Amino acid sequence: MASAQELSVFLSSVEQRAFKQAVYAVRDDDAALDIVQDAMIKLAEKYGDRPAAELPLVFTRILQNRIHDWFRRQKVRNTWVTLFSNMGKKSDENDDFDPLESLSAPDDSEIHQDGGRKLERSQLLQALESEISKLPARQREAFLMRYWDELSITDTAKAMSCSEGSVKTHCSRATQALAKALKLKGITL
Amino acid sequence: MNRTKDLLTQTQADEFGQASAVLLSQGSQALPTGIKERLYAARMKALSVRKAEKVWIQKPVLASSSGTWSFSSRSTWDTLGWVAPLVVLVFGLIGIAQWQEDSRINDIAEVDAALLSDDVPPDAYADSGFLGFLKNGGIADTSSDSSSSLQSK
Repeated sequence: MASAQELSVFLSSVEQRAFKQAVYAVRDDDAALDIVQDAMIKLAEKYGDRPAAELPLVFTRILQNRIHDWFRRQKVRNTWVTLFSNMGKKSDENDDFDPLESLSAPDDSEIHQDGGRKLERSQLLQALESEISKLPARQREAFLMRYWDELSITDTAKAMSCSEGSVKTHCSRATQALAKALKLKGITL
Repeated sequence: MNRTKDLLTQTQADEFGQASAVLLSQGSQALPTGIKERLYAARMKALSVRKAEKVWIQKPVLASSSGTWSFSSRSTWDTLGWVAPLVVLVFGLIGIAQWQEDSRINDIAEVDAALLSDDVPPDAYADSGFLGFLKNGGIADTSSDSSSSLQSK
């Protein structure tokens, strides 16, 4: 059974990663913060008495469910917004959405202070994050869970509620797509 | 051909994934202060609503010369505390069932006694002709018919 201290340590170790994963999915900082907060509260409230070893998988699953819930709510809301906006003026602002534009650039002053190496890594990270955001949702989930959360294929399959074969397929496709996209930009990891 | 050539092997894919994870981890450490503060606040809020642990409290027992006796006595009373009501409940239910059974037997006996002491024998009620006789007027009609026939004579 995880103590309050263990739960706190666990949450502090995953909160930033969870936030970034939510941002990749929903592309909105405020929404991502809300999602992470909801996931953390749900974990503490409902599963706070689980053994510490079970927390990563449970939290990942809650986080993914919260992200899916957010998309469902957005879909419903967009339906109404589209319905009412069609009654008024015609708006095509979202048709040319580019994920690159939604990513905030890092602080330039900090980059200049730390030198060219940091700038290079920052650009590399920006390119990688941009490509991750472009991945299909299932591929992105599989890739991040397998490599960033370091979940096993079995645990990833449980968290994604799919077969292990599907996880391998999603993960492989995500890796190939990312490597190819970065190669086109002249980046090799 | 090119497509096959561009594909990563499993090992290369794993290396790429791990390198990406390292880069992403570094990136996640450099979040703006505002975001970090909000995440901290969210964590504190989550911890405040944490599901409480189940605490098992053992009742203290005084260690003394009569400690064993008092523990045993207390245990006996504790056992009696839940056994006695259970026994009372069981005997109560048995008593109610017995009383209902007696009551039912008495009712049947009364009906039997009434039937046996009646002028009409019990076998008559099983006779379809007798039932028809009752429906068509019974004894009253028969007596009036007989009296009228006597007067005519």
